[in-house]
Amino acid sequence: MVARNRFNYCYRIVSLFFFVFGVSYFATHTYANDSVEAVIHPSVELKSYSRNSLRAAFGMRLKTWPNGMPVRVFVMPDDAVLHTIFTKEKLNIFPYQLRAGWDKLIFSGTGQAPFLVRTEEEMRERISSTPGAIGYLKRANIDESIHVLNIE
Amino acid sequence: MKAYMYSTLNKQHSTLNYAMMCRLTSVVLLLIVMMQEGIAQDVKGIRVHGFLSQGYLKSTGNNDVFGNSSGNGSFDFREIGANASYRPLPNLQFSGQLLSRSAGEDSKGGIRIDYGFVDYTAISTESMDFGIRLGRTKNPLGFYNDTRDVPFTRPSILLPQSIYFDRTRNLGLASDGVQLYGESRNSWGDLNAQFGVVFPQAGDRSTEFAILQADRPGSITPHLSYIGRLIYEYDGGRVRFALSGAQVNTGYNAAQQNDTYSGLGTFQFTPIIFSAQYNSERWSLTSEYAIRHIERQDFVARPDLNFTGESYYFQGIYRFSPSWEGVLRYDAYYADRTDRDGKQFLIDNKIPPELQGNIPAHSRFAKDITVGLRWNVTPSIMLRAEYHYINGTGWISSLDNRAPNATLQRFLPANTDQHWNLFAFQASYRF
Repeated sequence: MVARNRFNYCYRIVSLFFFVFGVSYFATHTYANDSVEAVIHPSVELKSYSRNSLRAAFGMRLKTWPNGMPVRVFVMPDDAVLHTIFTKEKLNIFPYQLRAGWDKLIFSGTGQAPFLVRTEEEMRERISSTPGAIGYLKRANIDESIHVLNIE
Repeated sequence: MKAYMYSTLNKQHSTLNYAMMCRLTSVVLLLIVMMQEGIAQDVKGIRVHGFLSQGYLKSTGNNDVFGNSSGNGSFDFREIGANASYRPLPNLQFSGQLLSRSAGEDSKGGIRIDYGFVDYTAISTESMDFGIRLGRTKNPLGFYNDTRDVPFTRPSILLPQSIYFDRTRNLGLASDGVQLYGESRNSWGDLNAQFGVVFPQAGDRSTEFAILQADRPGSITPHLSYIGRLIYEYDGGRVRFALSGAQVNTGYNAAQQNDTYSGLGTFQFTPIIFSAQYNSERWSLTSEYAIRHIERQDFVARPDLNFTGESYYFQGIYRFSPSWEGVLRYDAYYADRTDRDGKQFLIDNKIPPELQGNIPAHSRFAKDITVGLRWNVTPSIMLRAEYHYINGTGWISSLDNRAPNATLQRFLPANTDQHWNLFAFQASYRF
């Protein structure tokens, strides 16, 4: 009898969770839209790159650029709107997939994590001052200190 | 005299606890120091990351998972890890991770080197990599084994136990030796291969128990073993397939002449795992199938053993939003694929009726239906809850479930329920 009461209680908790999901689903489902581009430090000396190679770079699996420069990846937090837009629109994958790939590298020692920046301003500064750097920015925030990397 | 001995024993016990507490505190302090470094991210090129988790488990019947979970519930489930990596050159990396895991009798919270190796990438181009790792590397098995102790990388609090059982976890975790790896990135998909010639980790009590069903005077010894995995990923990981396999060899070093395991006997485990996954924005569908061949041979006073186990699961993850996800899974384990209900095992091993409560047919299989929820409170804090309905006790720990009058040398499992429930909660932090 006690066990049955406990099950009822759990059933209620589960229902509550589903209600919370419903609310959070609608709250987070609309993303702001603005054109976003992959950007690089001028030392990378690239104009365009295949989507597959770009995925490898942001997936932390590409170690050096064609000219031998070490790849340094800068990203915003997993839940940042710009990160989500870039991952979906330019890489054609989802942030959770990038995260799973990074975590496998970080926690098995077979790779390293990307560098984290909090704001677009910080992104622009770090990329323009780090040789071999790659990241992403809204088109409106790109200046002559960094280059846009087009996708082939 | 007896009273005196009892009090010394007691005292020893409390000193032990005190030592454990000190150790735990020092780990936490170390982590806090490392966290500060971690926020700085790139201090002199050394990158530091880690994780911390605390779980709570409550089960029904007399079936214990990670401590006394069938009583008032068990808080004895903690995972603490910290790693550092250093890349002096783009193609040279040093990596190491320390891990402290508490999970009932099998993992007592000691600090161990989870991995530690040097990685040299001999060839690295836009479309391929080829390299070598020397030292202790994580065993590449299935989709989840490499990071199985990191809560954030698991699909649920407990990994599907049919394939990633925690009972013989130490043998499967990591091993010492040489690993070759390669990756090829193409328009038709990416191929990633790893192959290792290694010595497994076998010296601990939990592994000895899993293999010998008792704490014997001698010890399990690692022999040269082989492990490998091939992963194919299509369209950035939308579709993934993997094939992994290992041949894990161990022997037994008898400490006494009359040990029935004396001789040049060997134990050989040959798991082969097929993995498949489909990823979309909201859904991730995963299935893995394992066939596990187990052989024991050439022990003078023990008959040779040769049987094949089978495991598989189907798992669906649904993301309600980027921060909320649910998981539903059916997971099946059979110790012997030709004896799925365990009845032949009782006959073959002549288990008398009075012992069939302790060694029941249902200890030879486990079918687990799991539902779970994950909430990413922030990218570095995660809360989880899950419920398992389980038929069978095939993968529960022998050490956590022993009869009240059993000793580690003359072992007897406790009476367990065939049908049981398990609730689990876990809070995790990462940096």
